Parts: sequence; C-alpha cells; structure tokens
Amino acid sequence: MKSGRFLDQSLKFDWLFIVLTVALMSCGVTLVYSATLAEDISVFDMFWFKQIVYFVFGSVFAGALVFVKISWLKRVALPLYFIALILLCVVLFIAGDVVKGAGRWIDLGIFKLQPSEFAKIAYLLTISSWLSKHPVSLFKMKTFVVPLLLFVVPFALVLKQPDLSTALVFIAVTMVGFFFAGLTLTDMFLIVSPLLSVLFSHSQAIGFEVLWGVLICVVVFALVRRRLPKVLTGIILLANILAGYASSMAWNMLEPHQQKRVNTFLDPMSDPLGDGYQVLQSLTAIGSGGLTGKGFGNGTQTNLAFLPEEHTDFIFSVLGEQFGFAGCAFVLCLYALFLWRATSICKQTSDPFVTLMVMGASTIFLFHILVNIAMTIGLMPVTGLPLPFLSYGGSFALTCMVLVGFLLCLRYQARRR
Amino acid sequence: MLKGMSENEVLQNRNWNVLIYMAGVVILFAILLMRLFSLQYTHYDENLQRSENNRIRKVVLTAERGYIYDRNGEVLVRNRPSYQIALMSMNMPRKKAGRDSLFNRLLQIRDQSGERLFDSLSLDTAFQRSRWIKNRPIRMLEDASAEQVAVIEEHSEELPGVVTVIESRRDYPYGTLASHALGYTSEISEEQLKLPEYEGYTQGDRIGQKGLEQFYDKEFRGKNGMKLVEVNASGREVGTVDGVDGTAPVPGLRLVSTIDLRLQKVAEEAIPDSAKGALVAIDPRNGEILAMVSSPRLDPNIFSLKKRERNKGWAHVALDSMRPLTNRAISGTYPPASVFKLVTAGAGLENGILTENKYYPKPCTGGYQYGARYQKCWGTHGNLNVVNAIRLSCDVFFYQAGLDIDMARINEFGRRFGLGEKPLGIDIPGEKAGWLPDSASFNQRNKRLGWRWARGLILNLSIGQGQIVTPLQQATLIGSLATGKGVYRPHFMKELRDSQGNVVRRYEPEIVRPGNMKEYTHRVLLAAMDSVVNHPGGTGKRGGLPNVRVGAKTGSGEWKKGEKTHAWYAAVAPLYDPEIAVAVIMEAAGGGGAVSGPIAKKVMQAYFENKEKDEEGEK
Repeated sequence: MKSGRFLDQSLKFDWLFIVLTVALMSCGVTLVYSATLAEDISVFDMFWFKQIVYFVFGSVFAGALVFVKISWLKRVALPLYFIALILLCVVLFIAGDVVKGAGRWIDLGIFKLQPSEFAKIAYLLTISSWLSKHPVSLFKMKTFVVPLLLFVVPFALVLKQPDLSTALVFIAVTMVGFFFAGLTLTDMFLIVSPLLSVLFSHSQAIGFEVLWGVLICVVVFALVRRRLPKVLTGIILLANILAGYASSMAWNMLEPHQQKRVNTFLDPMSDPLGDGYQVLQSLTAIGSGGLTGKGFGNGTQTNLAFLPEEHTDFIFSVLGEQFGFAGCAFVLCLYALFLWRATSICKQTSDPFVTLMVMGASTIFLFHILVNIAMTIGLMPVTGLPLPFLSYGGSFALTCMVLVGFLLCLRYQARRR
Repeated sequence: MLKGMSENEVLQNRNWNVLIYMAGVVILFAILLMRLFSLQYTHYDENLQRSENNRIRKVVLTAERGYIYDRNGEVLVRNRPSYQIALMSMNMPRKKAGRDSLFNRLLQIRDQSGERLFDSLSLDTAFQRSRWIKNRPIRMLEDASAEQVAVIEEHSEELPGVVTVIESRRDYPYGTLASHALGYTSEISEEQLKLPEYEGYTQGDRIGQKGLEQFYDKEFRGKNGMKLVEVNASGREVGTVDGVDGTAPVPGLRLVSTIDLRLQKVAEEAIPDSAKGALVAIDPRNGEILAMVSSPRLDPNIFSLKKRERNKGWAHVALDSMRPLTNRAISGTYPPASVFKLVTAGAGLENGILTENKYYPKPCTGGYQYGARYQKCWGTHGNLNVVNAIRLSCDVFFYQAGLDIDMARINEFGRRFGLGEKPLGIDIPGEKAGWLPDSASFNQRNKRLGWRWARGLILNLSIGQGQIVTPLQQATLIGSLATGKGVYRPHFMKELRDSQGNVVRRYEPEIVRPGNMKEYTHRVLLAAMDSVVNHPGGTGKRGGLPNVRVGAKTGSGEWKKGEKTHAWYAAVAPLYDPEIAVAVIMEAAGGGGAVSGPIAKKVMQAYFENKEKDEEGEK
C-alpha cells in the first residue's frame, strides 16, 4: 500500500517540467564543454565537469525543497530577507572582493558567496508573501508603501555594488508582482509610460515628435478611461511631458564624453574597440553559424577564441555558431515550454502566494534569458547577466535550481491539496 | 481580495493575466528569433566571410617610453627593440597530436651554435597557459636575439601559432653611469598591481623601479593606442579593418635632467667600484643635481635582459654584501663628523656666543677633561679662535663651544640648512631623513637600550659624532651655508618635453629651508671654509683649485672601534659666488682631507674646465 501511495504522489510531480530542466542543463554542459575544450587536463578542473557538479548539487537541493511546506516558506521569507540585506551590506562595506573593481563576492574559502543571488531569492519570497496578503491598487496609494520599501533597500544596495543588471532583475520581479497583485494592464502601461517617453525622445529618429505625440494621446486616453485619483493622473501626465522634454534637455547639458559613454552603453557597436568588440565578435560568430551551424566542437576554431567570456556571458554565441538557427530556435522553444509549464502551476491553485511566487520565479528566468540573448545578438547593452542553465557559473546555477525547487514544491503542494 | 469581485472572478482575472504574460513571452521570443534569422540567414554570407577570412584581432600599440637626457641634451636612457617569441593560442593546432608535434618541433629547434632555443620547462608552461589565455600572445622566449628570430621566421610555416612580437625595452648606453639616480624598469609585479598607486596598469606592463624611472613613471609611460587588425590562419597580421580607426599611441614625455654627463663621468671615474662611497654635486643656487654617484654600482641593463640572465644578474646584486642596490647618496646615513663643526660654529656666531676674538680658557693640549672623562683631540692645536679651530678641525675648541651654545641652538641652526628629520624632498624615491639628537629624541630612540641623555654627550655631538645625515644633506648644507640664500629642493628634473620637443613642464626651484643667517655669521663661516683649503695647515688643502677659490670642510667619521674612519669632504666653489657644492663620502677609507678631498677636487676642476670650454665655444 505504502509503495502505491508513493507512486501516486510521485505522479504529482510535473515530469515534463523536470525533463525540460534536465534538457536545458544538458545543453548547458555541452556548450560549456565545447567552449572550453582542452584535451589534456585533469577532468576535475574542467569547466564542464564543474558545471555538472554544480547542477547535481543544485538538483539535490531542489529535490529537498519539494517537501517544504508552503506555510513554512511564508514564515522564513522575512528572516531570509534580513539576512540577505546584512550580507549585501557586508559585501559592500566590509569584505568585498575587489577583484575586477566590483565588490560582489564574499570569499568563504571553499566557495564564493554572491549575496545578490541570495537576495534575489529572499526578495522574491518576501514580496510574494507580502503582496499575497496586501493587494495593491492605484486608487489606494498607501498599499504601495511597504512593497516599495521592501524593494528599495536591496535594490539600492545591489545598485551600489555596482551591479546594474542584477538591480534591474529586482525591478522586473516587483513589476510582475504588482501586476499579479491587483494592477491592470492599463495601470502597468501608465506606470511604464514616462520611461517610454524618455526612450522616444532620446531616439534621434525623425518620427520622434509624432511617435511621442501618439504616446501622449494614448496615455491621456488611458487616464480618462481609468479614472484614477486626480493627483495621480496629474503626476503621470506631468511625468510623461517632463520626461519627453527634460530628458532631451538634460541630454544636451551632458558633456560630449558623457554622451559618448551613454551611447556606448546603449549601442556597443559605436565603440568597436571597447564593448563593441565583444558584440562584433559575437555577431560574427552567431551569424556565421547559418541555419544549421558549423557542428559540435567546430566553433571555437574561428571566432570564439576572441571572446573572453565565451563560456559564461557569451555562451549563446557558442550555441549560435555551432548549432545555427536550428539550435537557437530549439533552445528558445525549450525556454518557452519551461516557462509555460512553470506558469501553468497557477491554474492549480487559488492561493495568491503561489501565483506570485510562480510568476516572480518565471520572471527572474525570463529577464535573464531576454537580456542575455539580446546582448549577444546586439539588441541590448552589454551587461553581465548569465543565461539560465547554459552559462557556466556556480552561484547562478544554484539560484536557478533553488527556483526550480520552489516551482516543483509549489506544484506538488498545490496539487496535493 | 479586491472589493466587489467574487473569488471566481478574481481567479479568472488572474488566469487572463497569466495568458497575457505568456503572450508577452511569445512576442519577445519571436523578436529574438527574427533577429537571429536575420543574422543567420539573411546576413549569413557576409558573417561567414568575416569569420572565415577576416580574423579580427585587437592589438595594443604600446606607447614609446620617454627618453632621459642630461642637461646638455645627451641621451642617458633610450629604448631598444626587443623580440619576444610567443604562442598565439587560437592559431595553434587544436588536436592533442598536433600540439604535441608542435611542442616537439619547437624543442628541436637549434641556433647555429647548436643550442636549443627553448627549454622544455618554459615551453611546457607556455603550452599550459595557452589553454586559458586565448586572446593575447604567451611569451616563450624573452628578448630573443636577431639570430633566434631569424631561425623562427625561417620555420614559420611549420610552426602554426608561433609569432614574433616586438617590444620596446630600456637601454642604458652608459651602463652603470648614474645608475642609482636613473633607476631601472622591469615588469610590474603581482604585489605592485594590487597597490592603489598602480591603478590602470595591467599585467606585463614594464614600469620604472627606483630612481627617476619610478618617480616619473606616469610621465614616461605615455598612453597606449589600439587598433583592430586582420590576421591570417597562422596568426600573422595581414591588414587593418576597414572603417574602424584605431587610436594612435601617445609617446611618453622626455625628461631633460639636471645631470651633467661630463661631470658625472669624471665623478664615476674618481670613485672606484670596489669602494663603498657616494658623491653628490649640486648647484646651491637652485638645487639642481649635477652629478650623483653611489658606489658600488649596478648595471640597469640587466633588468632588460631575458629572464634567466636577469635572474642571474639580480641575484648577483641583491646578495652582494656591498649592497650595490642602495643609493648611498640619498639613502646612506652617516655621522656628519667634523663637517658639522660648521653648524656648531654658525650657531655660536648667530647667537653671539662666539666671535672671531673669542678664545676658550683651556687650550688644546691633545684633549679635554670633562668631569671624569678625558676626551681626546686628533692633534695638539694650542689656543685658537673659531676660524682657526675650523681650519685645523680642533675638537677641544668645539667641546667647549658646544657646552657653551647648547644643543637646542645648534640643532635649530642645522635645521635651517637642511639637516634634521625631514627629507629634503628630492625627486627620486628612497630618500632617508637624518637626525639631530636632543635630550628628548635621544632618550626616546635609545629607550630599549636604556641609555639616557647626559650633558657629556654634547661633547660628541658638537663635533658631529652622533647625528645622522645623508651625503645629499651634506652637499646642500655646505652649499646653502656658502650662499646664505636658502636651501633649494634638490632635484633631477629640469624639463619635461613631449615627443616633438616642446617643453611641457619646467621645474620651478623651490626653497624648502630658510637657510638664513646674520651677515656677520656668514662672513666668518666663509672665512673659515676658505682657511680650510687655502691657509697653511688647513685640513682640506688637497681639495684646492689653482684658479678658483674653494671653500670646504673635512670630516673623519668614527663609526666602529678599530676600523678606519668614514672620509667626508664637503666643498663649495667659487666660495664667494657659489655655483657648485660637492659632498663626498668614502666609507671606512681614512681621513677626509686625504681620501675624499682629491675626489671632490677632480669634479670641481672638471666643472670649471667645462665651463671655460663652453664659454669659449660660445665666443
């Protein structure tokens, strides 16, 4: 009987989700292997082997997480959050490893702890737990006070490291959290609209005036429809108009070298000797892969030796070069299926905490995927965000596996109910 | 839950949101796929072309390090090309067999005398590193000879991934000449890379170590440039990339030093390398250092050699008991000996305690009884005034004068002229400070030994036994005593020029100590310095010149019982319109006038002969 019950329960795991995860991990190990191919070196020192060790370790961790009670997750959220804040302070003010200029790691001897990775998880738990009990609404501004406070402290600490891209992950998680805790799509649009205004006014394309005019019209229309409190309506409208004009004015006030620095960040190709160099090599590598790629192990021969971060941040270039468009599309499909299986957990439950956790975790994955791939194909600035399951790196692999563990746990417990 | 909604409605609303979210994912992924399609299908050909043929590599164009010249424009330090034979990882065979055969082929290469170019250890290290370092050359053979380069180039077809890299290295055409002042360059060390003052330096940079090379390293370095080049399959450059302009390197600044090569040569010849000693020649009117010697010397060229020879040379100088690495002229600390009597006398005159007509009750009978102690003098001089006491360097006179004047006044006068615990601030690193002891600092410094200050110590201190000075301080002391117009910061830098020869920066002479005294004090001290050289019986007569009036003071510093004294000689000329001040110390060599006097004389003689020649040349 007992074994029968175990079988019964084990069926409640999302086996497809596990298969997808394992498939992605296998892709990662394969790519790391071919990116750092070296024939005669001890197997234990090889990146691909170390990556397997990280994944195995992470999987054990994820497996253990499955049996954690949801109520317990809610209970440890806040303590974990404060531990994360303390660690961020420690790395920032005391023990920062100053190698490469940015203090991001705490060296614990056996491994290096990256508090910002830990903070991602702790923040996800905390914000989900808070928002699940206290929905937000633009009609009641008070509801935003606590979530924004929770957000601002770790965000500022990570930004100070300085680690802009990881800080942006916090924004993404927060926005999605708000979306699933009461805000409508229109609300989201209105919140983001000043940013769009800046973008439109900064792009020196000819149609800027028109585009921006259309945007303002849409914003006004949305505001009228939504009938937000008058003060908020005013603020949003003002912010849009200010963002449109002030940003171009502020831009003109910058010194030419500062303008150049911003331009280089936004468009790396404008500085082919600096950041653009990596992107140029990455584009060439991916583009030369063609539809079917050059074949496994044949990539590093040509271009990738130029990429210093080929097995970490630019692993997608290895994929593009060796397996071509087919390989890229395949991996993107895996990611899409992975996210679909993850988000489908929501349908199993009515618990808002589960929904928020699931969507937050998915967002962390999604944000990393988008920013990293867009970077390697020259659509976004060069930042240091790794690609989930594919990039080499212990800390981030562990973060991914913890998130996978959460997702499995949530599905398992939601179904069991 | 939100007001006015049933739980069902909320759930439905949430499911819609999830759907919207996934729709967003699909749209964003579609954008990525479109871009990938455009790269990998639409622009496939050009990207393939670029990846197959145009191997683009980033090349750092190293800025040329600035030369160092002497004051007349003679080159003291220049650069020479140095060939490095290196591995370019990305062009090496990828298969283990290929790499092994490359390894063996390299191992078998011999030059004309049949010697192997590479040893298996350094080859192995380079091959190991080539697995990790893919984007820059890995050095296998440093500073290769032209012949070795030719051998490699001959075989270049069979050696994929082996390249020759040209670097620029420092060359010191005069070898050991002024080596301590000039310093040397070497690759930046791991420890230095971590220091804040070396921010912006990278591994493999050659930086100045010691001397002017270190002090003006930032100026010498210039700014590296960069360019993108296309390389062919074996890693050789075939051209630049169209449409991408590199940045040209900005050569480092050139330093015109205050050193006078002709004078420096004379000074170097005057002090044999087998002796321990130092010489400083300085222009007291502005602090320009005309010559500086520290013996034994080292050859800075050894640091530009290949590793094995460099290590051999380094071990030789580092382990030498004569300590050739120390720049004795600024880091050597010695008792000032009788040269200090000028300070004691000056303090007495300045405070009205001594005059030209002041005689002490006890004449010099070969010694002086102080309490239970009998302090000897080096001769028997009878009854003397201050000028004659300095001429004969009589200790008994100064024992009594010192007790009369007291240390505080003596030290205050000495500090005015650059002695004491504050370095003068010369523009090379390593300058040591001196020490003028008084009761407080003496007790503090000797706390561990349990020595206490006693009035009897003034006897020793007033004749210069017990203080600490550097040869540089002695030179500035005698120079500024002669001018009476202040102590100028001693320096080597005259001008910094850019590569076109335009002056970028000029050294502004700067007074760092007041160096003032009463007219009367000045006059008496000058008379005393004059008498040392030019009056019968003067201890410094061997330092005199026929046509120029030289003032000087000798010294014989006791440093260890039973050993010969340190020979000091500090001179200045022309005495009443000083242009050059020279301090010489020869360690454990004997009396100052006999040993060091002739050395200073040679330097000053050369100075005035050169001056005469220059003036004739101008006519």
